[in-house]
Amino acid sequence: MKNDTLDESSFCLPETIDPRPWLGRPKPDARAVAAALACDAPDEATFVTLAQADPDVWLEPLARRAQALTRHHFGRTIQLYAPLYLSNYCSGGCVYCGFAADRHQTRLRLERPDIERELAAMKRLGFEQVLLLTGERTPHADFDYLLDGVRLAASMFHEVTVEAFPMKTEEYRALAEAGCVGVTIYQETYDPVAYPNFHRWGPKRDYTGRLNAPERALVGGLCGVGLGALLGLSDPLFDTLALFRHVRDLQCRYWRSSFSVSFPRLRPEVGGFQAPNPVSDRLLAQIIFAFRICLPENTLVLSTREAPAFRDGLAGVGINRMSAGSRTTIGGYSHAAEDEGQFVVSDGRSVEEVCAMLRGRGLDPVFKNWDAAFRDVLAPEARTCCG
Amino acid sequence: MNDDALIFGDQSFSSRLLLGTGKFSDAEVMARAVAASGAQLVTVALRRFDRDRPHDTLLAPLMAMRGVTLMPNTSGARTAEEAIQAARIARELCGSRFVKVEIHPNPRHLMPDPIETFNASRALAADGWIVMPYIPADPVLAKRLEEVGCASVMPLGSAIGSGQGLATSEMLKIIVRESRIPVVVDAGLRAPSQAAAALELGCSAVLVNTAVAAADDPPAMAAAFAQAVAAGRQAWRAGLMAAADEAQASSPLTAFLK
Amino acid sequence: MNLMLNGEPAETSALTVAELVREHVGAQGRVAVVLNDAVVPAASQAATRLSAGDRVELLVFAGGG
Repeated sequence: MKNDTLDESSFCLPETIDPRPWLGRPKPDARAVAAALACDAPDEATFVTLAQADPDVWLEPLARRAQALTRHHFGRTIQLYAPLYLSNYCSGGCVYCGFAADRHQTRLRLERPDIERELAAMKRLGFEQVLLLTGERTPHADFDYLLDGVRLAASMFHEVTVEAFPMKTEEYRALAEAGCVGVTIYQETYDPVAYPNFHRWGPKRDYTGRLNAPERALVGGLCGVGLGALLGLSDPLFDTLALFRHVRDLQCRYWRSSFSVSFPRLRPEVGGFQAPNPVSDRLLAQIIFAFRICLPENTLVLSTREAPAFRDGLAGVGINRMSAGSRTTIGGYSHAAEDEGQFVVSDGRSVEEVCAMLRGRGLDPVFKNWDAAFRDVLAPEARTCCG
Repeated sequence: MNDDALIFGDQSFSSRLLLGTGKFSDAEVMARAVAASGAQLVTVALRRFDRDRPHDTLLAPLMAMRGVTLMPNTSGARTAEEAIQAARIARELCGSRFVKVEIHPNPRHLMPDPIETFNASRALAADGWIVMPYIPADPVLAKRLEEVGCASVMPLGSAIGSGQGLATSEMLKIIVRESRIPVVVDAGLRAPSQAAAALELGCSAVLVNTAVAAADDPPAMAAAFAQAVAAGRQAWRAGLMAAADEAQASSPLTAFLK
Repeated sequence: MNLMLNGEPAETSALTVAELVREHVGAQGRVAVVLNDAVVPAASQAATRLSAGDRVELLVFAGGG
């Protein structure tokens, strides 16, 4: 068990990601925030200034700038995707997650016919972009199981991405060859001192192995990665600034690849875990605006963890990609479930309802970003980059 | 100890003004212009030896200047092979590890050939040269050259000798934002203010030739460029104020968060 | 012998590259030598023999941007 005091020698956060040099500064004055808002080459200082600006004064101007930039880079489109939980078996011990090994859940795994049924149900809802999820590796849901799921999904959907356990480069390569185009992996918290407190046992305790997984995915030939921090675990400024730096470092080196950012915020789960550093709606909105302003060309994602009113307000105002009609229970698309899934879905609206809301706000829901027909022409190696 | 050194490969410089030696009326004026500019990297080209045109009066003063490093360019080459050969020839003459890869097959507009430039740069970088490729202001080409080991990229501001300034400024901004190696604006600068503007937008240095050589008083113009480059760099480091933001009307976006 | 020197036919009594350089360049300083598309380093010039019909280029630096 790592000690709880800040021990420099065990602080394994790389210099390229370490947010500490920008923390502890005085709150920015009006001149600094105005300059940050208009900055056309935003950096860490810009991000911190925007994240720490007084929301009573600056939340609206930040929102306007975020909306202008979202429109500039993405038009009025909102990409829609759906998550498919293949299995809730999990060997992990994350204190905040409903699938942790010591949580009482009915453990299920979709077999091939179930996966086909689920995917067909999702396709009928209109989806072309699907995110396959599993927990930490277990014999029930191991790499081969995930790979089979990817192959199956890739035969039916134009975009298949995966959110699962950290893998080896060769495993990522196999996923890419099977038709997976992206991997989402959240560091949860970038604070290496706090990290072990939330991850009680198993492979997920390997902070550095997880941190380097996105790079292994890119080297293995995946077109893009999705990053994020689980807001509420640690100091939000620490984690979001580290996340910002992580994205920037990777996309400077892997400049052919795409990088999206998600904003998972701790929600109630079956084990009753309470967030040590809860993030309010206003702060989450401010963080999203800061990311849009400082990473104007990156896709920013908001899932059904968040409530309808919040999602409606952020759509097109920073956020350009959302899930809809999500089921976080196993087999939830083709039949209703009694358990609570990985987290409680806050926005339970149907896909039609979400699309109607988006159109009502002058936004354009899109289910397909690009056509898989192009993808088959190139071998994964041709799509990779040199780091 | 210079905390704002310009680093190409493993070589460190304090001046962000690079100077070309072409088009001067005579070698003496050229040498005084180099001295006045404070430039530490100076380009030279290759030509055939001609016993009727003495050549050492051009090179001797340059090679005698302390703190000046010669950077041979491959001007005249039309292919990667010719450029690589030119680099080898240049190394025979001065032993410099620097090479400016300059390949412009079209003699009318002198636009650099991206494919030959990339191929030559990749080979020369692999061979240990400090490669400084002259390129169109293409952000993807710049990253590919960075990947193969170039010490910098030198995107053009506008066509050689045209004096059109930073016609490529929007592309330069993208290149600067994405680059992990120094970006040196080369070609097309006419006035010191344009050099300052290049540094203000984040470029690491500029290379100037015609603007100095064709001035009425080249050494004075060279000194003016040196001041402009220093001012532009200092302004960039000091943090330029933002340009005015667009005004927006209509209803509040964050009312739902109250 | 007859050979091509800087693109022009020339006649020389030199037998080696070093002799040719002394004959044409004299004491005017350094030139680079390319013999039939291969650079001949200074250290090898005395030992490099010439043949009739060889193409020799003698190159120097000039002003350039």
